Amino acid sequence: MPEIFIDGKRFEYEKPQKVLQFMLDHGMELPFFCFHPSLSIPANCRQCMVQAGTPVFNKEKNEYETDENGERKIRYFPKLMTACSLDMSDGMVVKTHRSSDLVRRAQKDNLEFILINHPLDCPICDQAGECPLQIQTYKYGPEGSRFEFKKVHKPKRVKLGPRVTLDAERCINCTRCVRFCNEISKTNQLTIISRGDKNYPATAPGKEFDDPYSVNTVDICPVGALTSSDFRFKARVWEMNQTPGIDITNGKGTNVDLWTRNNLVLRITPRYNPEVNDYWMPDAGRDAYKLYNENRVSKPEIRLDEENSSKTTWNNALETFLEKITEHSADEILVIGSPHASLEDNYILRKFFNKIGVNDIYYTPHIEAGAGDGFLLTDDQAPNTRGIQHLGFTESEDLARQLSSDKIKVVIVLHDHLLDRSAVTTEALEGKYVISFATNNSEMTKASDLVIPITCAAEHDASYVSIDGRIQRTFPAKETIYTNRSLNPEMGIGRLDRYGTKFDNWITDQNKVDCIPAWEFLMRLSKRMNQDIEFTESRQILDEVASTIPVFEGVSYERIDEENGIQLPELKETEINPA
Amino acid sequence: MDIAFDKTDLEEIEKIKAKYPTNQSAVMPVLWYAQEKFGHVDEDVQQIVAEALELPEAHVYGVVSFYTQYYNKKMGKYVLDVCTCFSCQITGGYDILEYLEDKLGIKAGETTEDGMFSIQSVECLGACGYAPMLQVSNDIYVNHLTKEKVDKLIDSLREDKMPEFESIPLPQHQNEEN
Amino acid sequence: MSTDWKSYKPILLPNIKNLHQIEVYEKNGGYESLKEVIENKDDKWAKDKVTNEVKSAGLRGRGGAGFNTGLKWSFMPKPDGGPRYIAANGDESEPGTFKDRQIFEYNPHLFIEGAIIAAYAMTVSAVYVYIRGEYRSWIQKLQKAIDEAYKKGYLGKNILGSGIDIDMYLHSGAGAYICGEESSLMESLEGKRGYPRIKPPFPAQKGIWGRPTTINNIETLSNVPYIIKNGADWYSSIGAEKHPGPVLYGISGHVNRPGVYEYPTGMPVMTLINEVAGGVSNGKKVKAIVPGGSSTPILRADQLEGLTMDAESLREAGSMMGTAGLCVLDEDTDIIDFLWRITHFYHHESCGQCTPCREGTGWLEKLLLKIKNGDGEVRDLDILLDLCTQMEGRTICALADAAAWPVRYTITRFRDEFEARCKKTIYATA
Repeated sequence: MPEIFIDGKRFEYEKPQKVLQFMLDHGMELPFFCFHPSLSIPANCRQCMVQAGTPVFNKEKNEYETDENGERKIRYFPKLMTACSLDMSDGMVVKTHRSSDLVRRAQKDNLEFILINHPLDCPICDQAGECPLQIQTYKYGPEGSRFEFKKVHKPKRVKLGPRVTLDAERCINCTRCVRFCNEISKTNQLTIISRGDKNYPATAPGKEFDDPYSVNTVDICPVGALTSSDFRFKARVWEMNQTPGIDITNGKGTNVDLWTRNNLVLRITPRYNPEVNDYWMPDAGRDAYKLYNENRVSKPEIRLDEENSSKTTWNNALETFLEKITEHSADEILVIGSPHASLEDNYILRKFFNKIGVNDIYYTPHIEAGAGDGFLLTDDQAPNTRGIQHLGFTESEDLARQLSSDKIKVVIVLHDHLLDRSAVTTEALEGKYVISFATNNSEMTKASDLVIPITCAAEHDASYVSIDGRIQRTFPAKETIYTNRSLNPEMGIGRLDRYGTKFDNWITDQNKVDCIPAWEFLMRLSKRMNQDIEFTESRQILDEVASTIPVFEGVSYERIDEENGIQLPELKETEINPA
Repeated sequence: MDIAFDKTDLEEIEKIKAKYPTNQSAVMPVLWYAQEKFGHVDEDVQQIVAEALELPEAHVYGVVSFYTQYYNKKMGKYVLDVCTCFSCQITGGYDILEYLEDKLGIKAGETTEDGMFSIQSVECLGACGYAPMLQVSNDIYVNHLTKEKVDKLIDSLREDKMPEFESIPLPQHQNEEN
Repeated sequence: MSTDWKSYKPILLPNIKNLHQIEVYEKNGGYESLKEVIENKDDKWAKDKVTNEVKSAGLRGRGGAGFNTGLKWSFMPKPDGGPRYIAANGDESEPGTFKDRQIFEYNPHLFIEGAIIAAYAMTVSAVYVYIRGEYRSWIQKLQKAIDEAYKKGYLGKNILGSGIDIDMYLHSGAGAYICGEESSLMESLEGKRGYPRIKPPFPAQKGIWGRPTTINNIETLSNVPYIIKNGADWYSSIGAEKHPGPVLYGISGHVNRPGVYEYPTGMPVMTLINEVAGGVSNGKKVKAIVPGGSSTPILRADQLEGLTMDAESLREAGSMMGTAGLCVLDEDTDIIDFLWRITHFYHHESCGQCTPCREGTGWLEKLLLKIKNGDGEVRDLDILLDLCTQMEGRTICALADAAAWPVRYTITRFRDEFEARCKKTIYATA
């Protein structure tokens, strides 16, 4: 097997890669800026320089030449080489800063050069705390500055596009943003303009950077040159908790991270998943944080008369719900599940209503033709359509017609704003008693007679199946009134939770929503009706789904967490398994 | 002038494109063509060039801003590029530049009020043996400059007379003839 | 050698009136080498024989790097049926260099013939001549000569009945010194910003549009017809031993008769200054010379004793041949001002792609401006030398080296003058 020596350690490898990629794969750190595993290699930041050499092979003797100690003679390349563009070869010897003074000097010099025109913006720069320039300067950079001149001034606070702000002075011209637009999102909207140290990225004059993936450039920008206009100045990185989650704005199942502070989701960033979304996510998915924070239904609501509703107690909500389903027969109740709700919520919905005799649970898919682009945007606007297809729900061809039937007296809708997305009309709902499980206020909740507030994707752990048939799950990032970050092992805790007192953190209870997971409400109902649906955690629900429905065989939260999502084998038509 | 390519322009552009295997390679000669026609390659001109060659506008903008001879905005009728580099510097290039600046009342990088002249201080133009010198509007070189020669040049330019190309004989040939 | 230079008859720029017209060129033996190669392409002048002849002639690139041309040609891989290119580098933006324009003006067909022979030897289908945009008059002249060559069947389809097709196109630059660097030239030809490419891959493996390409200077290709005509031995006997052939010296600066002179390599510098160029102007004395364009290290007057203009001799003296663009500075020249303007040039021309050059050239200029204005301190000189070490060898192309060498060597060789302009330092830098 070919071998390579890095800082004296021997490694074997099969396929030759670039040295930097190899080192990163093996957990060896080397400073760099312009390199990105998913983009082309420009080698222009010159930070990853290493000293490399190859052994001298004597063709006549058919062996490597050795010196007097028996060590292989190494012919080093005359100049330092950038590791990101250096191909590995058999017998190559690589020296990094760990074993070469010259490399240490080169790293320090390069950082000195980057910093001479870089503005002293750290106190006001969003990137602070997650800035590779800060980290690498601290570890490999010069002690102070020898530059005693005016720095080059360039435009600051440029509105590059609707979601991205450019600060040209901070830019180190790594060209990651330009390469992203040319190679990944293929919109070619960015370029570097001007020459020499006056250059900076820009769009064509008069044109906006309205690429549907534009905010990804903010993620990959190694400095604070590109910042998210929406998130600018909202919070410091070290104040926020980072929790993994799933993008619920479309069916792709893009892996994301939710960043919360004081129980508000402040931003959403992509999470690396080579099977689904690589390092990227669509801009549309980033706005979902507003859904989690604002306009939430908190405490159940009940309609009093034509115009008025009022908040009510959970007990009252339970009793009213119970009343409505017991005083009507099973064929007078229309139950509508949702591709927007999780597998667990939908499964318990079906299980509960099957037990009281409602055999058909309907749903209508939320498809917007033309919204998909073959990359991370899909026509399907809901995260769990394939999941509920295999829970044995019936797809309704014409929900409005079903609803308008006089036979139906009670309509129960799980987490689906049917009115808002024009799947039904207000006329169709007239004369029925409408119960909605909802996370946010909407036309649908206004038209409902009883609204049960449920947890959103940021507040519960639940699983969703993407349009590619991949089951993935969320973690709770936001507390509700009933959950507690320190007690719930699934919730991520950050620096502020671990250290400091309550008085340091200035946490309020205002941002906690009075809601519970839909399955928990249904479970309480079923207890009142003396049924035997009993779960304490959502992972138990998934275990039951896995053991009863063949498509989901072998699936569990442990396995999802370990494998970062499970690709379900060919999903085919299955029998509905009654609970 | 309306910023658009007419039929003859598009035919010329096709001829230019035929010299290269890709459209992108034709962007530099087409930008030159457009600059000759419109006097500059500002954002509107960049737009029609991008359309004619089916290239992203940002790419064309990047190319225009990289090369110094493409003018991003309207310049004076005559652009005087005075070389002040290396040999021209030590043989009086800066003196000629200062004289020109005083004469026209503007500094290097500016255009006169009447829009006739722009002055730029440029890098080596490849006429080091004939220093000091300047180039008029990316075209003719005016060599061996003296204050008088500058005066004469400005006067003839004011009358719209571009100087002729000056073929400077090789001194080795002159030596032989002596 | 130094005695018979007076009897040297120029061959690259001979004194023949109207030589740029194809009829005059043909009448004076023009295109004979091409005809000979084509007629004997199956035996005496098979492709690799042409390359070997050029290699043994010892012709070295005249663009500044001085690499053996025939050896460079031999790097082209075996033809695979796809297009292959020659990019003729007429970017000529190195300060002090003004020789290729003379070929365009006075003997363009010599270059065209040399390029066609090179294209034949390397199985090249098209020659792209990249000429700097400021040379508009010379682009027009060369285009006329190319049109004449096409009409006479030396270019285009089925050259001289050989069945070989070779095209030649002119591409005008637009004002960027960096595009004279070979990989930047290729990027510019492809219609992009002139950012040099990382090497490997080299142009012969992956050049313009991903195809095998060789880049040669205009003057280099102009030597090829004579090598074919008179043979490698004749060629390698002209001028210096390790760096043979005629070369165009571009003498400028403080001399009485500046201009381009053609002489064999190895001319003594003092002969060039005092006899060929008529001596230092205004009767002054030489203070320093820059032998081959602004990137080559400056040499003091006391280093010029016995110095000859050829690659080896100049390298031993601590400088380089470069483009043989000799600039003479007289005793009253302000060296600090001169050096500042050179750093200003590199700062302006840096493409901005990689960090050390982009930031370093700017910092060098700012430091030299400070020293030039009398506000500098002695420790600034040490910082400058440090910066040179930080820039050399760390970048994608050699512009950073070309920017650092003048600074390093001018300061070391004229240290007293720099220190005299500086203020006294109270403390030393780390």
